[in-house]
Amino acid sequence: MAYMHIGKDFVPPDVAGKVTGRIKYAEDYTREGMVYARLLTSPLPHARVVSIDAAEALAMEGVFGILTADDVYPDGEDNSPGLKVLTNQPTLVGEPILALAAVDEKTAETAIATISVTFERLPFVMDPLDSLAEGGPDGYDGGNTFVFREGVASEKWSRDEVASFRAGNEPTAEPQQSWEYGDLAAAFAASAYTYEGGFTTAGYPHQSMEPRSAFAYWENGKCYLHGTSQSMTPVAAGMADIVGVPVEDFVFINEATGGGFGQRARPNSIPSMAIPAKLSQKINRPVMMRVTREEEFTIGGARQGFQGWIKCGFKQDGTMAALDMYIISDNGGKGGGGDASSAADCISILYQTEAVRFRGTSIASNTGHRGAQRGPGQNQIAPIISPILDKAAEELGIDRLEIRKLNAAQNGDVGGPRRTPLTSAYMPEALEMGAQQFGWEERKGRARQKNGSKVRGLGIGQGYHNAGRSGMDGIVRLMPDGRLAVHSGVGNLGTYSFASTSRAAAEVLQMPWERVDVIAGRSDRHLPMTSPQDGSNSIFTNTRTNYGAAQDLLAKMKEIVAADLGGEPADYEHGNERVYRSSDNSVGMTFAEIAQRGLELGGKYTGESEVPEDMDDFSKLSVSRLAGTALMGLFKDPAHNNNPPGFTVTFTEIELDTETGKYEILDMISIAECGTVVHPQGLANQLRGGAVWGIGLSGYERHLYDPQNGIPASTGYWQSKVPTLLDTPANIGTGWVDLPDPENPVGARGVGEPSMGAVSAALTAAISDALDGHIFNAAPVTADMIINHVAGISSEAIPLAQNNFRG
Amino acid sequence: MGEIVRYKRDVWGEEVILGVSWDLLWVVAVAVLVLLAAHAIIMAALANKKMEKPSAEGRRVLRHETIDRLFHWVMAASILVLIATGIAPIIGLRIAWLNIHWIAGLLLTFVVVFHIIRSLFWQDFKSMILGPKDFGEPFDSAKKPGKYTFEQKGMHWAVTVVVLAVIFTGVLLFMQIDTPFWDRTNSMPEDQLGLMFLLHGLSTLALIALAATHIYFALRPEKLFYTRSMVSGWISEDEMTANHDTSLWSPKEAD
Amino acid sequence: MVATSHDVMPDIELYQPTDEANALALANTLGSAGWLLAGGQDTYGWLKDRNKTPSAMIELTQIDAWKGVKEIADGIEIGAVTTLTEIANNPLVQSRYGLLAKAASVVASPQIRNVGTLGGNLVQDARCWYYRRGLDCYRAGGNICYADSPEGLNREHALFGASRCVAVSPSDTAPALVALDATMVVSSEGGQRLIPAQDFFVGPARDIVNMTVLNEGEILTAVRIPSTWANAEFYFEKVADRNVWDFALVNVAAAIKVSGGSITDARIVCGAVECIPRRLEAVENAIRGQQRSEQLADQVAAIATDGARPLNYNHFKIPLMENLVKRAIRG
Repeated sequence: MAYMHIGKDFVPPDVAGKVTGRIKYAEDYTREGMVYARLLTSPLPHARVVSIDAAEALAMEGVFGILTADDVYPDGEDNSPGLKVLTNQPTLVGEPILALAAVDEKTAETAIATISVTFERLPFVMDPLDSLAEGGPDGYDGGNTFVFREGVASEKWSRDEVASFRAGNEPTAEPQQSWEYGDLAAAFAASAYTYEGGFTTAGYPHQSMEPRSAFAYWENGKCYLHGTSQSMTPVAAGMADIVGVPVEDFVFINEATGGGFGQRARPNSIPSMAIPAKLSQKINRPVMMRVTREEEFTIGGARQGFQGWIKCGFKQDGTMAALDMYIISDNGGKGGGGDASSAADCISILYQTEAVRFRGTSIASNTGHRGAQRGPGQNQIAPIISPILDKAAEELGIDRLEIRKLNAAQNGDVGGPRRTPLTSAYMPEALEMGAQQFGWEERKGRARQKNGSKVRGLGIGQGYHNAGRSGMDGIVRLMPDGRLAVHSGVGNLGTYSFASTSRAAAEVLQMPWERVDVIAGRSDRHLPMTSPQDGSNSIFTNTRTNYGAAQDLLAKMKEIVAADLGGEPADYEHGNERVYRSSDNSVGMTFAEIAQRGLELGGKYTGESEVPEDMDDFSKLSVSRLAGTALMGLFKDPAHNNNPPGFTVTFTEIELDTETGKYEILDMISIAECGTVVHPQGLANQLRGGAVWGIGLSGYERHLYDPQNGIPASTGYWQSKVPTLLDTPANIGTGWVDLPDPENPVGARGVGEPSMGAVSAALTAAISDALDGHIFNAAPVTADMIINHVAGISSEAIPLAQNNFRG
Repeated sequence: MGEIVRYKRDVWGEEVILGVSWDLLWVVAVAVLVLLAAHAIIMAALANKKMEKPSAEGRRVLRHETIDRLFHWVMAASILVLIATGIAPIIGLRIAWLNIHWIAGLLLTFVVVFHIIRSLFWQDFKSMILGPKDFGEPFDSAKKPGKYTFEQKGMHWAVTVVVLAVIFTGVLLFMQIDTPFWDRTNSMPEDQLGLMFLLHGLSTLALIALAATHIYFALRPEKLFYTRSMVSGWISEDEMTANHDTSLWSPKEAD
Repeated sequence: MVATSHDVMPDIELYQPTDEANALALANTLGSAGWLLAGGQDTYGWLKDRNKTPSAMIELTQIDAWKGVKEIADGIEIGAVTTLTEIANNPLVQSRYGLLAKAASVVASPQIRNVGTLGGNLVQDARCWYYRRGLDCYRAGGNICYADSPEGLNREHALFGASRCVAVSPSDTAPALVALDATMVVSSEGGQRLIPAQDFFVGPARDIVNMTVLNEGEILTAVRIPSTWANAEFYFEKVADRNVWDFALVNVAAAIKVSGGSITDARIVCGAVECIPRRLEAVENAIRGQQRSEQLADQVAAIATDGARPLNYNHFKIPLMENLVKRAIRG
């Protein structure tokens, strides 16, 4: 279909501000009388605060007050994991205990140094398997896991069971969670090649460039909070609750965000933003809380690490017949997520596995807060499954591209525990496109070619994430001057989706982009409720709402014109910012005239009546505040059917030096299969950004805690080993299949997350290829692991240890 | 100055003992020097009133067997080496002191254990027992001791206590470093480790004071014959009768 | 006070001398209270974390006499405050002492090389993370090492010469300068000391709290490289986890003189395996007089790691070191 906006590059409204540095992040705001808060954080990996003596600090010149967990939770903290605003029961080093406000940061730090906190030391654990073993220490008070709706519980295996699991054997203990479909035994029996082994993947922090600094003040009973989030309206609504103020008296301001990657999508993963709000309320001054890189590392979240066992069966023709997987996921100190189940779901969908059994248990460790990070589960398992697929291809004598094609998801396929149909899927097309652009056929002969100590390796990786939601709200307004205002509840997380999804509304009305205003960035701009910007859903979810709201607006416009100029609304069409009679385009009204007429008519035209009843309360509040200001289009999106997938494919060629364990990425190309492309530049950036993440995941990113004392060892960018520009290929090719999805009005699906998994999978496959098919069963695969493998030194790391780095 | 104990933060930021304050080294050094100098001056002032020194000539009696003399000097050498190597890093000397220190420490431990066993079963252990009546000895010029004088017994037992303390803490600290025999484990909690360092340091300071005092007296003219006996084994009969009660100590003749 | 990053510097008196005499006088008067600052890449982390709290800082970057590369009677002299980027790009260094140019060009990242100085790269403190976190370990004057234990994170630590502390020499330029037989020019109000590069660094057995033999009041002001090794055949390689912004897991610097295919003399030095740059004299002796070849490299590589005492997680440094020595000999 020929679109006016969809599939076209454009300049999002915040780009100029970002390029010039004028756009404001939370830390950039000031207000008269502003004071500065700093945090006192837990020095212990697991403890209970017995007493706090801040008398000396409070008596210091320039100190305005402190905020403790007792202030925030006067009735006491609940005994559930999950980040608290402040806590008296820290379960990780660096967890905020109290905040102190002073005239400047230096005074605050000096004052904090005088505060004496008496702790009761509690047992702690760094490796979930150590906790799982009988008699092992527990990470939480009263247990080592959290059962939904039941609370903290204890999960223990015999020491022999743990040792056997570490040795790569199938665990026999009852899992916390499980699902399966198909006849697993029969599928394995039908398999010509079966792979079985233990694996481990590192969990590591989100490393958002902007720390979760926040600034708050109160004015006329309203709380204004400048914060940082990847979502806008869902966070605004939830934060009001955490701060303890009615949503109508709460303004969340967040024009731009320096990265979120999963841990800033929802208010409960950024509760620290309530600290300056609460402190400001207590001392009656504006409070700026600048969060340090180390604090961001600690409370900023981390991916769950996996310690797993996998068994995979392939039929003679290459079909993946069976998958049996058991995963212990690292819940960290504050509770985790559902990564493990998503990992099995991902394989089930990517490879259309005939029979799958998933078993999983999540166990606490007193390491950083865990939660969703870009492809939570799907991206950990991608680098593990890819070399296994290659091993099967080798054993069965099938080309590595072919084995992927024949297992690939296509239209009409189903996947996951509930065998949910995919809305559409074109994975074979994506693989073919990638193979063409990469030149797979020509290059594959180069695999394992040696040149001195260097050897070539080729890899193909695939990534998947569910990529779309529905049921959200849309608000658009046609202003009296004829401009279109698209109210976007989408957060500005750096993907520009807050703007690109707005283009669905412009598309409906055929509005030139320069005549469209995207209204976003502060909750008092009266925005509709939407789903958080996580799970790669925004493009799918919000093109639906904006499309729907624009359709409602257009219908109202035609009603107005038909009422004024005669005939039925159906007799009219639109273009060039006019609505005109289909049979005679001289009979019509401009958008501005229609908007003015709508204002005169009021009622349902201006949001004063007939607001969709099933709209979210937050959206209704916004509509009520906008009512009577313009001609309004409102939409409550109905639920969609089935699972809209986001797929990517990556092809790469590396040259690995067996003497140094290092490899150079010679070439890399990533192809997206995400329905109709809405914003090509944005998509290309998503693919490249995901590639950098994938390079880190399979290469060297790490999350180190000292096993002896539980103190964090990789709190900054240097020690965390985030890939740099010079670790990344200068050119990463991109492409897309660009076939429409039927469940979205513009045919679009999301794709942000899988681009990382596919790259990571391609790289572990290429490393394995270069080393004659050796499977490390780990991500990352670090230089020392490669050197040890080549030198025949058995792995130094403890088997299935949470992080392969020991340094 | 003024502090006895040094503190540090443990891995979680809590204050724990680090060890003795080495400022005390100078306090001990100065105190010992002042006391010994005062003693020397008083002794010099009293010198002309003293009797003639007993003659070293004539019949010789055996005071220390060869094996015991060997023990003494090995112990003395190892203690001096331990003190020197222990002090070197404190005063900023850049030498590789630790290996020498623990080897000397092992040697000291070995000879001390040897001496304990020998003294219990093969030597005249009673001669070194410090009884209540010994305490009258310094105040009664008519009273003469057996083999060992009150001062010698006192020094022996003081050195015994201090050396055993140094050895006990030293061995525990030795177990906290890498050696050819084992790799360190970091198994001792930091507060206990600090306490061991403190006790090692305090006993070292006491040992330095005792060693200095011992050396001083060993070099005093009126005691020099004892030092000679620790080298050659004998004292003269004159020296014996002048200083000891032969009814309590009747050594055999020296070879 | 908890060892953590506070991200706020304490108050510090800043001195910015513009001539040598002033700087040396300040260094003398301030003694240990006067922190020497050049590029700041070893400094600001300590200060922002509040793990070191000097009361004064002497900034050396305004002293022109300590900057730049110049020819001297026997070789060249490089001012200690010269940036690593300048050294990497200097034609004189590039043409005669390519080993140093290469080493300087792979330090950290381009941004750090633009401000980081040669002096700073040489005298920087140990990078063991336990120490850098501000823990009171041996190197910080304490009585414990957290890295050298069965569970300690010691992947990046020493194979050789450990004595209680197992930290390694983090510098990339230090092995190159030892290989080039450079001399360190150390100045103080009392005069000048000339110290061979090899003797400039000190291990924990001799001094557990300092990485160099610099005393209070002394400043490393220049490095002299003699003509002896100019235009020899050089090899420098650094292996680190990332291509940039990492310290070496192991690095190797070699200067080899070859005549008619036969090695007449050689100096080979490895970094990141010991607290000081480790000169491999046994390897040098083994290859002297031999034909430079792949076979020779294979034969002698194992000598390089004789006496290595790996910790729990750094065994990989042994084959890595051997491989790098092999590559240096192969050329």
